[in-house]
Amino acid sequence: MAQLALGLAGLGAAFFAGLMVLQRSLYVAAVCLLAVLLQVAVLFFLSGAPLLAFLQVMIYAGAVMVLIVVAIMAAGSSAGERWSRLALPWPVAAAGFLLPFLEIALIVARGGPPSGGLGRTLAVESQVGQVLFESHAVATEAVGLLLFLAGLSLVSGKKRSAG
Amino acid sequence: MTGAIWGITGLLFASGLVMLILRRELLAMLLGLELMINAVNISLVHAAGLFGDPEGLAAVLLIIAVAAAEAVVGLSLILRMHQAGGPLDARVLRELRG
Repeated sequence: MAQLALGLAGLGAAFFAGLMVLQRSLYVAAVCLLAVLLQVAVLFFLSGAPLLAFLQVMIYAGAVMVLIVVAIMAAGSSAGERWSRLALPWPVAAAGFLLPFLEIALIVARGGPPSGGLGRTLAVESQVGQVLFESHAVATEAVGLLLFLAGLSLVSGKKRSAG
Repeated sequence: MTGAIWGITGLLFASGLVMLILRRELLAMLLGLELMINAVNISLVHAAGLFGDPEGLAAVLLIIAVAAAEAVVGLSLILRMHQAGGPLDARVLRELRG
């Protein structure tokens, strides 16, 4: 079952990545990227990293995709032209969002991710925490500072353009 | 399983690279870049699981955070350029003007 889920996730990611390259519309490319990001989250889950899969859905498929769609809306053409160029057939778009659920169902039917139970997962995550906040604490702080500065630049740029 | 993961990684990275090279819209180039970052993350997570090394997972966590910051800065720059009336086409944006 895990092999089947892996095959489905890989095929889905490759298919939507190819579709993303071939489409001219930025909206279709963004929808295809969202489908790829969800498949990547399933691949993380299958590789035994459920925390990263969760963060992938939260940060990439959630926050970053919202930013990208808003940027396309703000910088794109008129609404009518924009939606008329949305040439992705609805069964394909629906497959992009339903496929991750099918793969998760396959994994759950098998009895969880292939790398082991909850105890092992928690042990790995505590090791990741140790790496992040003990041996590589400076890098973690630097990335946190970078995120803060990125948010600050966004807010200050918006204020300057309003003022 | 390892061969399949490397195949998927290669396909995604090549797709992102093709999009980055062939498309000239700045937003499309940013989408290609995100695809390439995700391909690298897949290979890192798989390698971390293969060697039982938590440092690989920590690196992916940091990469996700840096990629989010990169997307924020890139998109805000594109929007500022659009507000200033500049083109969003990399063919036109050839020179840095003070």
